[in-house]
Parts: sequence; structure tokens; C-alpha cells
Amino acid sequence: MKPKVAFFDFASCEGCQLAVLNCEDILLDLLALVDIVEFREAITGTAPYYDVAFIEGSINREQDAERLRDIRARSAVLVAMGACACIGNVQARSNFIAPAENFKRVYGSEERNQVQSDPEFWPLWAHTRVRAVREVVKVDYELRGCPLVPEEFVHLVKSLVAGTIPRFAAHAVCVECKMHENTCVFDRGDTCMGQITRGGCQAICITNGYRCDGCRGLVPNANMAAHLGLLQSKGLDNREIANRYRLFCSAEPLGRVGRSGHE
Amino acid sequence: MNASVTPSTVVPDADLYLPRMARILEILPMSAREKFLRLELPAPLGHRPGQFVMLSCLGIGEAPISISCGPRTDNILEVVIRDAGSLTHHIHGLKPGQYLGVRGPFGSGFDLEAWSGQHLLCVVGGLGLAPMRSLIQPVLANLESFSGFTLISGCRTPAEELYREEVRGWEQLAQGNSKVRVIRLVDRTDNQPWDGRVGLVTAPLHTLEMDPANTVVAMCGPPVMYKFVILELKARGLGDAQIHVDLERRMKCGVGKCGHCQINHVYCCQEGPVFRFDRIAHLAEALQ
Amino acid sequence: MTAFLVSLDAVSAWIRHLACGQTLYFPQQSGQSGLRFLPVDNDSEIRFDGYQPSLAPPGKKLAPAEEPLFRYRVGTDGIPVIQPVLDASPRILAGVRPCDLRGIHLLDQVNQQGHPDPHYLTRRQQTVLIGCDCLTPCDEHCFCDAVGSLRWRENADLFLTRIDGQFLLEVQTEAGQRLVANQNFPACPDLAGLKAHIEAQRAKPFGRQWHADAGRIPGIVASQWSSPVWDKHVERCFSCGTCNLVCPTCYCFDVRDDFQIEDPSAGQRVRHWDGCMLPQFAQVAGGHDFRPAPAARQRHRVKRKFEYLNERCATTSFCTGCGRCGRQCTAGIDIFDIVNDLIDHAEVTP
Repeated sequence: MKPKVAFFDFASCEGCQLAVLNCEDILLDLLALVDIVEFREAITGTAPYYDVAFIEGSINREQDAERLRDIRARSAVLVAMGACACIGNVQARSNFIAPAENFKRVYGSEERNQVQSDPEFWPLWAHTRVRAVREVVKVDYELRGCPLVPEEFVHLVKSLVAGTIPRFAAHAVCVECKMHENTCVFDRGDTCMGQITRGGCQAICITNGYRCDGCRGLVPNANMAAHLGLLQSKGLDNREIANRYRLFCSAEPLGRVGRSGHE
Repeated sequence: MNASVTPSTVVPDADLYLPRMARILEILPMSAREKFLRLELPAPLGHRPGQFVMLSCLGIGEAPISISCGPRTDNILEVVIRDAGSLTHHIHGLKPGQYLGVRGPFGSGFDLEAWSGQHLLCVVGGLGLAPMRSLIQPVLANLESFSGFTLISGCRTPAEELYREEVRGWEQLAQGNSKVRVIRLVDRTDNQPWDGRVGLVTAPLHTLEMDPANTVVAMCGPPVMYKFVILELKARGLGDAQIHVDLERRMKCGVGKCGHCQINHVYCCQEGPVFRFDRIAHLAEALQ
Repeated sequence: MTAFLVSLDAVSAWIRHLACGQTLYFPQQSGQSGLRFLPVDNDSEIRFDGYQPSLAPPGKKLAPAEEPLFRYRVGTDGIPVIQPVLDASPRILAGVRPCDLRGIHLLDQVNQQGHPDPHYLTRRQQTVLIGCDCLTPCDEHCFCDAVGSLRWRENADLFLTRIDGQFLLEVQTEAGQRLVANQNFPACPDLAGLKAHIEAQRAKPFGRQWHADAGRIPGIVASQWSSPVWDKHVERCFSCGTCNLVCPTCYCFDVRDDFQIEDPSAGQRVRHWDGCMLPQFAQVAGGHDFRPAPAARQRHRVKRKFEYLNERCATTSFCTGCGRCGRQCTAGIDIFDIVNDLIDHAEVTP
């Protein structure tokens, strides 16, 4: 019996599902190994049980959390897929701002006042916080990155089919930069999150001339104090630094005091 | 080492990283987390007690595994596998007739010849019985070379006991032979039936009848056990040179190349994993 | 053996000529800043001036970031068949500075000790080394003279020294001799006189110097286990592994297996770089980590370079003084400073 695999999306751009579909050279081999029962980007359907459920997107509303718990209850293995599901991604930046302030910024003062006072809009207020999947249910594996790394997706599928435990890098992006013999971003005059960000991406952004913004989340035991000091020594002000840490991984090395400078 | 040797004159060991394929003859559950495997190699392994092999499942990975059987002339290798990682988890799911890769034997092992005429005391904790069995088997088969043999073997609960039948066989041997003593302990019974003692392996050492000048000790277990057992042995008048410990480290090559198993300057896979304690007692990283 | 006196143009043309016959690596710019040992082709620029140590040392061409140890396929009888993979393609490493020549010499030692490593040695035995002298320190990170690397040239097949706009080209081995055959390079008329002249031109002092005699350093490093110096230099450390991965004498590796998705009965075992500064380097299955603290890992790295490996290989230092680890550390942690602090600390608390 081929494992029954399902893909579910929550608050996300669905780019990770597209990244999976973009594994064109091996997609047919992958499909030969598994039985895909739900895939919003490709097919529709429902099944009572899943061997592997891939969850894309962050959990923003209580109804999303309910749906996620239901999927978890029907799934043997649950995989958080992509930065939204693993660490909340850019939308988690809204956690640093009061919900009413967010509404005002997006819809204007008048609409803000309406959603606050009209009971019809109250369900919206259940949305108080953007959560990673692991903040709601138990997660077996995480495919990090924005978008996920196709090689890691393939490695995970192969491991699950072979019955082995997949291995994901716990080292910093710097390791892969060195393997690719990249010039360090700091030596190019820019600053980088690579030292405190989990590798596994083959340092793709830096290899292609950009810097690391930390989309794969922090390494275990990240030396945040040292990194903060380094960014400060490179002339970044607290506003820039706060934006850098919050962009993907909701990190707060500056602390909560005097952090009002975000955009 | 001869620093003047140039690479052009050194013959590379072409087979260094290539496993030989061994067929699984038996794979049996042994305890809650361990399985016993009997493998058939293409040729005799030719190992010493206390050595290890690099065991692999192609496509999955490779790991150092203690050899659990005494030296033998046939093609058999016996190991005990604890389900502790990706590879070992996978091995637990294998069936007789399937193949595993084997490199080795590697490492120092126990030097039985050097202990001739002495009383051998083996102190074992948990999974340590797996490698220690490779020493106990040849010792019991050759008892006339030793003035005596004592096994103190402990594990946490009765469910974790390894080689249940075989250890009881050794116990029966001890009942008819005053040269042999076997003491079995568990830390706690967990309300399961238990026919041995309850306590730590250090407890019997207080009162154990022994001639400190004519005793050698072989130990295999967790590092914390070594610390306390060595304290007891020293209190009984034994010196570091009479004590031998089997250490565990991360190993990726088994041949002194990958760098993972270093204990200070010592390569555990080459100079160890069995060490005479006086040779590593001064190393800060030895018993961490 | 033979020595020639050759113009820059002739040396450049000769290196291009050699690159036509086989892969020849030479330190080059490639868009991004910093030098890399890249294969020379028609567009390559052969420059000797303004040298800075390459991002990765040239010795890494002998032990690449990832390499297959073997491939396998399970036969129809269920028995896996192993196919060895060895890279015996000939190559030339040219423009290798004394620190990196010595780095390769030290890699030779560890790879031929005990069980001779087939993958490294197969490449190494097909490799010709063209060394290049340094008369001035490359930058403020250099301390090659302090560790005895500056005048190292023993394992170079050919050795170049740039002097007064020309190159002294010394042939040191038969393999080197074959590369200059038919070149009609003019012989060097007064080798002893020229060498004395070269020594007179060499900067003195050359690069950074220790606070103590080099001979005392292994003893000083060995004497300090619980030193505050270890904690001091690790405060800013990210445990990112850069210092390991750019080191010319770091060779630790990890191994992983992989099977093909299109044919799960076939696959390979691959080894790839690892580093003792990385978390989990000393962690065993089951989770116990024998070196969990960053300070303990840094102590291990420093002791490997100045205490552990020099004992094993009967050499003065396993650090080549190339300065790469300090130069490329974003936290500015420099093994030279660590060792000098250990020296200072030993003076205060003997």
C-alpha cells in the first residue's frame, strides 16, 4: 500500500505547494511512491485518514486551529511545510502590533471602528495572533524555508517511504556558504542573518548575490546577543535591526522595550 | 609517524570505506528497545573481544556497533542493536535473508593474554553487556587460564535485561564452579518478577571477596557508572592500570579519519574504545 | 635540481599552456570579491600581485565539500553490489603559497597515517604542486612565519619566487621537471646569490609574531584546560563552523547515505565536510553530547592545531598561519589572539 498523502493550506501564498509541483524532473517518480488524496493546487477530495499530512501556512484564526486539530487527529505523520507553517513567516510580524492598529493600517480608521463595534465582525477578533503549526498541534517534521527546499521535500518523502528518520541541518547557513565558497555577505558591505539561521537551503540567496534574511528560522541556541552586537557595530539602528529579526522569524533580541520603530 | 613519507610512496587502502555484505540469519527481540542479530559474513571476522564494526544499511546509513560474540572461526557475527536513531530503527524492521554492510573489526579490544592467571571482574551496566559478552564467552571457555571470574551485571528494570537465558546459564555454571561468580541487579523491579538483586552495580563491590593485587577489571556501561565503580575499586585497593573501560563516542569512519571520536588527543576508534584506565585517567574528556 | 630565471609573461604563458593539457587550478577573481582556486581557461587572468589567501584553501581540491565513497545497486538476488568511486584525474595546483603548501603536507600526514585514505591519496598522487613564495605578508591576519610556514616548500614540485620583475623557477621533483621540459627557459646564472638577494628582500618581521618562542607554545596550550581565555573568545562565537571549513588543515567529515528516487535499489554513500565547532559534532545516537559547550568546542579546535595533532604528526604546529579563520570570522575571533592570550595567561599564572 502506498502511503496516503494530503496537502492542506492555511494562511500562505501556496508557493510551497507550487515548489513541490516544480520538482518536474522527479515528480513522476515521487507520485509513483505515494498516493496523493488531497492537493488543493492540483486535485480536490477528502479522505478519512492520511499517512502523511503536509500543512502549508500559518494558523491565524480559531477556525483554522480547529481545522488543523481535525487534520492532526486523522494523520499519522504531520509535516509543517514552509516558513509560514514552521515559524509564522512575514505575517507573524503582525503579532508585534495591536489588532486594532493592524485593522486601521489595512482598512482605515472608519472600518476599524466598524469591525470593533459591529457584532457581525466579532469573529474577526478571534484572530489575535499568527501561530506556527507547532504552536497548535504536534509536528513530526518541519520543511523550513520560504519557499521550502525541494531537495529537503524529496529527502523527507524518501525517508518516510523507506521508514527512516529524515535528517535536516541544524547548522548555520554559513556552513553551506563555505561549501559554495561564497564571499561573505559582510565582506560585500551588507549584513546577514546567516550565522543564526538554520541551513539546509544551500545558502541559495547568498550564492545568488543576496543576503540571508533568516526565512528558515533560528538555529538551536543562536547567539542572539553576539549577532545583535554585530549588526549594531555595522551601523544598523534599532529600527532596522528589529525589522530584520522580525521579518521572518519573529525574533526579539532587542527586547520589548523601545521597539516601536517597526514599519 | 614518519613525517618524511611522501604521498607517492604510500599505497592507499582502496577498500577502507567499502562494506562487505552480511546476510541476516536471525533477528530477535531481546528487550524493550534491543534486538539481537546473527549475521553471516563472506569470511570470518577475525576480531578480538571488545572490538567494534561499522554496520550499515545501504541507502540509510552507517554506525559503530559493538561486537557481541566472542572470537570465532566461522563466518558469524552477533550484535545487539538498540533502537536509538535512524539506522538502528531501520535495522529493527529488517528480516532474515536481508543484507547489512559490515566494515571492520576496528579498535583496540581487550587483551586477554595479558590477564592470564588473574581474577577477571566484569562490571556491566545496561547495554554494556552486549560488548562484554564478546569477552565473557572466551573467558568462560578458557577458565583454566584465570584464577577466577566475576560478573556484576546491572540494568534499570527487569524488562531491560539482555541475554536472559545465557546469563542464567552462566549462573548455573557458577553454582558448580567456585571460580565463577555471577551477580545480577536491577535499579528497580517496576513490579515485574525478578530473581536477582535490587541496587546499583557499585553495591556488591563494597563486600565482594577479592584479591586486589591479582584482579583485573573490565567495565562496560554508561560514563556515570564508570566514575562510581572506579571510586569503589580504588577504595578496595585497585590501581588505574588494573581497570579497563569501554568508551562510547560518535564515529563516522572507524579508521581515525573523520575526527568525531576524539577524546582530547586520543582517537577512540583507534586507541580505544577499550582503554586501560591509567592511559586515559588524565584526559579531561574521557569520562564526561 | 634545475633553476630558471623567467619573465612574468613567459610564466603566464607557460601556466596557460599547462592548463590546456589537464585541469590547472590558479587563484582567480570570479565576479565576487576574494580569490578562489579555479580551473584556468582562456578568459583566466594569471596574476601574482595583490595576493590574498583564497577563501577556501587549495588543499580542499583534494577533499571536496562532498564526494561519493561508493555507489551500490541491489542485484536481482537481493545482494547489494558495491561499486568503488575514486577520482584519479590528474590536476595541477598552481600559485600555492608556502602556508598552503604546508597545509597540504599536513593533510598528507593525516591521510597516510594508520589506514591510508584512498580518496584523498588517489587525488593527491595525481596532483602536481606549483608553489609561489611570499616576500611580503598578505595582510594583517598573516602569521605564517610565527608557525614555521613561511619558508616551507618541500612538497612543491616546482617553486616560483617573484624577484625584481622576474621569476625564479626552481624544479624540485621529477614531476616538476616534466612540466618544464621543452620550455627552453633560461637557466638561473647565480642561484645562491639570487636566493641571498631574495632573503634580503623579504619583509622582517614577517606578519604577526607570538608573545613567546614558538617552541614553547604546544606546552603552553597543553597546560591550560580550565583557562578563562576559552570563555573570553567564545562570547561572540556563533558556532557557525566557518573557522573549521576554511582551515587548510581541518579534514573532519560526516557521512550520509542516499538512494535514488527513480530506482530505490541503487544509491550512494557520500562524505561531506564537518567541523568540530558545529553543535552536535560529538553527539551520539541517543542524544548524549560529549562536547556541548561552545567554549569546549573552541578549546578542542585550538588544541588540535597546537597540541593534539602536532604530537600525532611530529610537527611543530598544525596551524599554518594563513589567517583564514580569523579573516573570515564575522565575530572577529582569531586563533592567533587566542593563543597569544593563552601565552599571556600562562605568564601571569605559571
